[in-house]
Amino acid sequence: MTLQLQQSSQASLAIRGVSKTYRVDDRPLQVLRNIALDIAPGEFVSVVGASGCGKSTLLRLIIGLDTEYDGDILLDGQRIAGPGPERGIVFQEHRLFPWLTVADNIGLGLEARGAGQSEREQAVSENIALVGLAGFEKAYPHQLSGGMAQRAAIARALVNRPEILLLDEPLGALDSLTRAYLQKELLRIWQQEQVTVVMVTHDVEEAVYLSDKVVVMEPRPGRIGAIVPVDIDHPRDRAAPEFIALKERILGALAH
Amino acid sequence: MVDLSASLPPRTRARTSAASWWERPALWRGLAIPVALLIAWFVVTRLGLISSHLLVSPEKLVALPFVDEAGRHVWFALGESVVRLVAGFAIGATAGIALGLLLGTSQAANRAIGPSVNGLRQITLFAWIPLLTAWFGNGDSSKIVYIALSAFFPTALNTYEGLRTIPAHYLEVARVLQLSWRQRIVRLLLPGALPSIFIGIQIALITAWIGTVGSEYAMGVGRGIGTFMAGGREQFRMDVVLLGVIILAVVGYVINVICGRVFRRLLHWQGSPS
Amino acid sequence: MNIRTMAQRQIGAGSSNWQWSWLGALRPGHLVLPLLLPAAVLLAWQLTAAQGWLPVQILPPPSLVFSTLVDLIRDGEIAANLKISLWRISIGFAIGTSAGLLLGALMGISKTLDDYVGPIFKALAQVPSLGWVPVLILIFGLDEALKLIIIAKACFVPTTLATSQGIRNIPRHYLEVARVMMLPRLLFLRKLVIPATLPTVFGGIRLALSHAWISLIVVEMLAATEGVGYMMVWGRTLFQIDIVIAGMIVIGVIGLAMDFGLSWTERRLSRWVPRHG
Repeated sequence: MTLQLQQSSQASLAIRGVSKTYRVDDRPLQVLRNIALDIAPGEFVSVVGASGCGKSTLLRLIIGLDTEYDGDILLDGQRIAGPGPERGIVFQEHRLFPWLTVADNIGLGLEARGAGQSEREQAVSENIALVGLAGFEKAYPHQLSGGMAQRAAIARALVNRPEILLLDEPLGALDSLTRAYLQKELLRIWQQEQVTVVMVTHDVEEAVYLSDKVVVMEPRPGRIGAIVPVDIDHPRDRAAPEFIALKERILGALAH
Repeated sequence: MVDLSASLPPRTRARTSAASWWERPALWRGLAIPVALLIAWFVVTRLGLISSHLLVSPEKLVALPFVDEAGRHVWFALGESVVRLVAGFAIGATAGIALGLLLGTSQAANRAIGPSVNGLRQITLFAWIPLLTAWFGNGDSSKIVYIALSAFFPTALNTYEGLRTIPAHYLEVARVLQLSWRQRIVRLLLPGALPSIFIGIQIALITAWIGTVGSEYAMGVGRGIGTFMAGGREQFRMDVVLLGVIILAVVGYVINVICGRVFRRLLHWQGSPS
Repeated sequence: MNIRTMAQRQIGAGSSNWQWSWLGALRPGHLVLPLLLPAAVLLAWQLTAAQGWLPVQILPPPSLVFSTLVDLIRDGEIAANLKISLWRISIGFAIGTSAGLLLGALMGISKTLDDYVGPIFKALAQVPSLGWVPVLILIFGLDEALKLIIIAKACFVPTTLATSQGIRNIPRHYLEVARVMMLPRLLFLRKLVIPATLPTVFGGIRLALSHAWISLIVVEMLAATEGVGYMMVWGRTLFQIDIVIAGMIVIGVIGLAMDFGLSWTERRLSRWVPRHG
């Protein structure tokens, strides 16, 4: 059953010479150095790397939770200055408010924009159907399994029809069966919504399965080591030799 | 249509086992000592084994509030105490929650006012009574001020803590979704702090109840459970005193039970304890 | 975290981070804001009293309170009363806490004992110190025994509860490891039981001390002829509110010092015994 959803417009993201330094005990610690990356509209980009390579920091800069950095992050040519409805994010923890129902949680972003009751209800039910949680509108987060809660978090991020969707290790806290299932769901949602996606993950296979290109980052200080395009047609077979070859190549890039 | 019921967590059962209450050994063991003491008490008084004018028989104690002339006053005393409790608590808890909200949301207010409130909190509540009686006399006003004071500190402290301990994760979500000030308070801060606020209310109610009886006992004027007990002590009537003590404990217990039930219902979104 | 676990944590914690967290980040400039309010209040107080809007018997000026405080310290009044109060609380605390540790340990180890004794213990714990005062006055009169018993009872209850809970909460996993390694008794106590129960038990002791202090004041105000609590009642009877306020200040300061001392001790102890779980 295909849903006729209005497709969100897509954004291009240009990251130019971005660097970020923290001060720890009065000593500077550079977490990002000269990050340069171009993301085309509708692209699915994964960022992989060892801990400490700054991939989550980069995501926080893009979403606007952190606004102090050198360089430029341009969304459709405009410099980013703080959070905005055109960018949505899903964290590793679902971070649903425990005292709100699934429907209220998902509709939170719309409420913030001052959307009317009927507009909210419509958008919420569309997004609930999109992530496959129909029937659970009135459930509370504590009644959901980890996978379902994360799906609700995805719906919450998508409800404002963002142009770019950021995912910070969204499946990291889930067991492998749920993870495999949700990877397929993510793929379906991305293809349906045609939104630009930037996903941080430490699971290389997941990155190769989902993305158009994989950005490999190196730690201390965080910088881009390699950008590996994935030219395999969807649906991708994880056992196929070209898949495995790409995976090995990326793992090799990570190892040194 | 995907069948999602398989991915729901198993419904937690309300009772751990299907045993009915009379089959549980722990219950019987718990009753053993109290029942034995009760029987011993009964036997000792019936047989007159201990002769002391302080030793009251259980039957007399039970009959006290109904039959005895002095004992019958306890009903009015209880009524008056409860009225004072409600009045004082309402004032104190409202002020406490308001201050807690202020200190929890404004860093500046917290730094300016927090330490002073904390310093005042160090002074044992009961120590306020001489000052209050000097300012407000021995009547109802000083008692109500004292009760309000007893309710004030727990509510202020717990409201502040509730706001302070809202996880940073949720605050970030609020920033990312760009929630307005009003939304932040209604959708995040208040519900997030509510469990703590409820605990503060529960503790404040108990403290205020003890404060009610305590202030009545200390000031001696007027009618209430505290005055009832003080009178009993002056007249060397242990039965009156014991009745007062029992009522003191029972009301406290009832407060805890009611609070527990009400708050668990209101906080149904928390789910069962892990 | 639901309300039940939060309530347990709250009750176990006694005083909270509200008090001491800001001390850690204290710098000279930071002292200005906290002192602003008290300074303003003192100023208003001094002005009102100086203008004579309220009689001295109701609102003595802070200058008078201060000089009274100094006099009382110099005369040795405060020292004498404090000595008695501290003596009472030390003995009562020692008795009550040791008994509490013992009973709590027994109740924690033996579920059977806990089943028998638990309910009636909890029922008695429901009665606050205030309730025991008139009962014990009738039995013991206004003796020292009265005060010591009340203080001991105030310490006994929280210590028992905390100790039994601390022991019951030792993770089963660690107990199994100890059994498998066949730890000798002394090592078992030193390396497992004590570190595992220390945080909870110490929390209970901290609570016990604060309850003991409160009960001390209550009983001294209601049934004593010396001590800091009595000092305030005495000042009130003479309508010398400066003495009353001076007494309140002394009580507040001592309460603060005791809690600070205990929290410092707790922090030193937990450096040896790292927090876990």
